[in-house]
Amino acid sequence: MQIQLSHLVPLPLRDKLLQRVSDIWNKEVTFSPGSFIKIKAPSGTGKTTLVHYLYHIRYDYSGKILVNGKPWQDYNKPALAAIRQQQVSIIFQDLRLFDQLTAWENIELKRVMGPSPACTPEQVQEMAARLQVTHVLQQSARTLSYGERQRIAIIRALVQPFQWLLMDEPFSHLDEENTRRAAALIAETCKAQQAGFVLTDLDDDVHFNYNVQYQL
Amino acid sequence: MHPFFQLLKKIIQTGIGKSRLLMATAGLGIAMVLLLIAIQAHTNFNQLLYGRQNQNESADFLVVNKKITNAMMGQSDKSMFTAEELQTIKQQSFVEAAGYITSSQFKVTAAAPGELQFYTDMFFESVPDSFIDVKNEEWKWQEGDEVIPIILPNDFLNLYNFGFALSQDLPQVSQETVKNLPVKITVSRGLLSSQFTGHIVGFSDRISSFLVPAAFMDWANNRYGNGKAAAPSRIVIKTSDPANPALVKFLDDHGYTTNQDKIKYSKTKLIVQTIVSVIGFFGIVLLLFALLVFSMFIQLIIASCKKEIRLLVMLGTAPAQLRRYLLRQFVPLYVITGIVAVLLVAVLQWVAARALAAHEMVISPWPGIGMWIAAVVVLLLVYFVNNRTIRKYLD
Repeated sequence: MQIQLSHLVPLPLRDKLLQRVSDIWNKEVTFSPGSFIKIKAPSGTGKTTLVHYLYHIRYDYSGKILVNGKPWQDYNKPALAAIRQQQVSIIFQDLRLFDQLTAWENIELKRVMGPSPACTPEQVQEMAARLQVTHVLQQSARTLSYGERQRIAIIRALVQPFQWLLMDEPFSHLDEENTRRAAALIAETCKAQQAGFVLTDLDDDVHFNYNVQYQL
Repeated sequence: MHPFFQLLKKIIQTGIGKSRLLMATAGLGIAMVLLLIAIQAHTNFNQLLYGRQNQNESADFLVVNKKITNAMMGQSDKSMFTAEELQTIKQQSFVEAAGYITSSQFKVTAAAPGELQFYTDMFFESVPDSFIDVKNEEWKWQEGDEVIPIILPNDFLNLYNFGFALSQDLPQVSQETVKNLPVKITVSRGLLSSQFTGHIVGFSDRISSFLVPAAFMDWANNRYGNGKAAAPSRIVIKTSDPANPALVKFLDDHGYTTNQDKIKYSKTKLIVQTIVSVIGFFGIVLLLFALLVFSMFIQLIIASCKKEIRLLVMLGTAPAQLRRYLLRQFVPLYVITGIVAVLLVAVLQWVAARALAAHEMVISPWPGIGMWIAAVVVLLLVYFVNNRTIRKYLD
């Protein structure tokens, strides 16, 4: 699945952004399938906005985002749902777990939402063990620490089939050790699924072998 | 249940307005029972009315005439029907066909042959042939024929056999005998006269008169009549439902009268129709309210879970999945309500059939097809309305 950005400019940040040099905004950019892409961005330059544009939950931009050659606007609701179930997964900056579900159920929700789960419950247990959250799986998401919630959100994003994984500061609340483990798990899963990812962060990092790096 | 729906159950709480949902369901149940009872009562009444009366015929015939009042006596033209009046009658929806009864404008005498010393003045009438229920080969006449086919009223033979014959010491005769009797018919006007042989071809309950084929009547009226085309004073109507209150009202409004025996059910029918309509009306009103409460309930659930639904959609839940999940919360409820309502009406029907059987009134112990159709239609309507509501508020 190919994603192309064509002169994409967020309307609210238009004046501000056109004054600075950016690799993404108002440019022609193509994300080729399977690439690991890092987008580095200082605060306030539209990092989260970009991720939301890519996931098509914000629409206040000029220019175009073409998915498989078709602008997002041409996809209807059922098609969009199918893409989110089978082709594009996401880790939100604000995580967006359901407080009324347990950590396990939050992961399960995404695993069984689509027609074909990408992994078995045993594999989920394995992932949880790797990220050291096995002990909180049966707890309500409400009672988890932010770091634990972040790891649950990461696992949730990995249990569905996907070709692209969008990550918005996915390690912001993890210590170095957990970040390393999480990055390794993400890289492995992406390789296994032959998927690429788009990761946005504030600073440079060496968590992944990025194919492309952009400055927002 | 699908594991995804089990998770949805925890996210989209449908228990929020339980009492409201219960009320809506109860309302739906009562509405369905009322509607089904109304329809079934209608079916039963029709069965009672037509099951016994006209078992072989789909239509009934009424002979209609104007009421003879004291003021009209001696003015026979006041009891005549004009062509416009016949036209008005034909245009009524409950009249399938209508025709004049033409009466003879000449003198008729009949004499029985042989020892039956029977001689009488009489008259003939004719109706269009389509109204004759004695359908056979003999019912025709053309100029030059010696034999005239005649239909007698059943009542006439009965009067003779049980009234006249017994008191006068005359032999009683069977229908077969009468049919084999050649009657000498003399048709005359002044000095002009013709002789025919009358042949009784049948007996009729429909029209109390001595009927001859229309062809003969036309010829004879032409030849022996007074030359004026006389307006007829009786009309025969073919109707599928002589108990139709609209028919009775029409006759009353125009001062017409007919065989009261045939229309005696119309009053009962009117009352039953009114009661059934009122019950049905309340059923429909209640159904509408139940639908409204259901819709409001769905609206409430969706509004109270707006945030959760938005996040679910954001994570990739298809609108169809949400719709299916929500419908699944309600559909079993109506189906059960529908089944309970149908069962209740079926039991009532069975009890009613037994109770009526004690009075020798026969109705089917099973609910009629109309009730089943209504039950299915109501359930489909509820499903359709709820589906629409869900669709509308999810978007």
